[in-house]
Amino acid sequence: MMKDPQYEQLRELNWRRKLTPAEQAQLNAFLAAHPEALADWEAENSLTEALNGLAEVPVASNFTARAVAAARLAQAQGDREAGNGRVVRPWWLRWLPKAALATVVLAAGLLSYSHLQQTHRAEVIRSLATVSEVPSIPNPDILRDFDTIAAMSVTPPADEELLKVMQ
Amino acid sequence: MMSDELDPDAALMLRVKQGDWDAFTSLVDKYKQPVMNLVYRMLRDASEAEDISQAVFVQVFKSAHRYEIASRFSTWLFTIARNLSLNEIRRRSRHPADSLDATRPEHDDQPAQQYEDRRDLSPPDRVLHGELEEKIEQALAELPENQRTAILLCRGDEMSYEEIAKVLGVSLSATKSLIHRGRETLKQKLKPYLRSGSWSEHK
Repeated sequence: MMKDPQYEQLRELNWRRKLTPAEQAQLNAFLAAHPEALADWEAENSLTEALNGLAEVPVASNFTARAVAAARLAQAQGDREAGNGRVVRPWWLRWLPKAALATVVLAAGLLSYSHLQQTHRAEVIRSLATVSEVPSIPNPDILRDFDTIAAMSVTPPADEELLKVMQ
Repeated sequence: MMSDELDPDAALMLRVKQGDWDAFTSLVDKYKQPVMNLVYRMLRDASEAEDISQAVFVQVFKSAHRYEIASRFSTWLFTIARNLSLNEIRRRSRHPADSLDATRPEHDDQPAQQYEDRRDLSPPDRVLHGELEEKIEQALAELPENQRTAILLCRGDEMSYEEIAKVLGVSLSATKSLIHRGRETLKQKLKPYLRSGSWSEHK
């Protein structure tokens, strides 16, 4: 298979159209220098000719009229559907499903929030009740002379020598 | 872009957008043959090809508002034709019973179409020409769809490689590669005819 860029370019051109005289001259020069490419080029040329020579597929003589009629029918149907749409579906009706969904989501959010608030309130009440059950702290005034009284209760050590004399 | 700079088809499409039926009729008249050629060679069923080709033009009319004047009309048209044909092929594969005559293995000995005689051929030449033509139609039909479509769109000088790439939805290099591979396969399958030059002799 030829990989020469010049040959490839000429081949791609030949797929779509006949080569110009200048391109043909380039090709002739190339084939003269590379005779091994001649068979490939002939096959390419022959295939291009065969493809270009494929017969036209028969088209019914009334094809255009039928296609135009079908397009007119499609347009009429489109107009009718658009007209029906205006009567049956007011503009706001298109938003109804979205609005309903938004309402449901909002209601669910509010319910969750309300439930959370109630739970929190119950927790606070429970905490307050616990605190209220704790015994009350004595009045600090009672403890005003604590140090003095405590000092009074301390007795001096016994005089061992005096006790011995007295015995 | 000014109207007088537009290619004639784009100018016609501008009129179609405004609801001009004469412009639409002109486009159908101009393109019914190439569209039928492509669709038939994709579907291999004359009756379905005609229905799909008709649907292509209805789609053109319905989608006229989406047509961008910057692109060539033929590129847009053949993209629609290919897409509808591919949809039909997919539908067939899902409901094979719907198109019993779509594939014609039992009719391989007969031409798929009764083509018109375009040349002055003697009766034996005509038979031989019919056989050769059937050979290439068959070889084309056996190619993968994208290679076949690329080769068919590449025939003649009407579409550039860039436009063919747009229709196929692939890059330029991929398009050339598809054409190259398809042609190599065709050359292999049609070797005896191409080498002997029998095709050229009987044109």
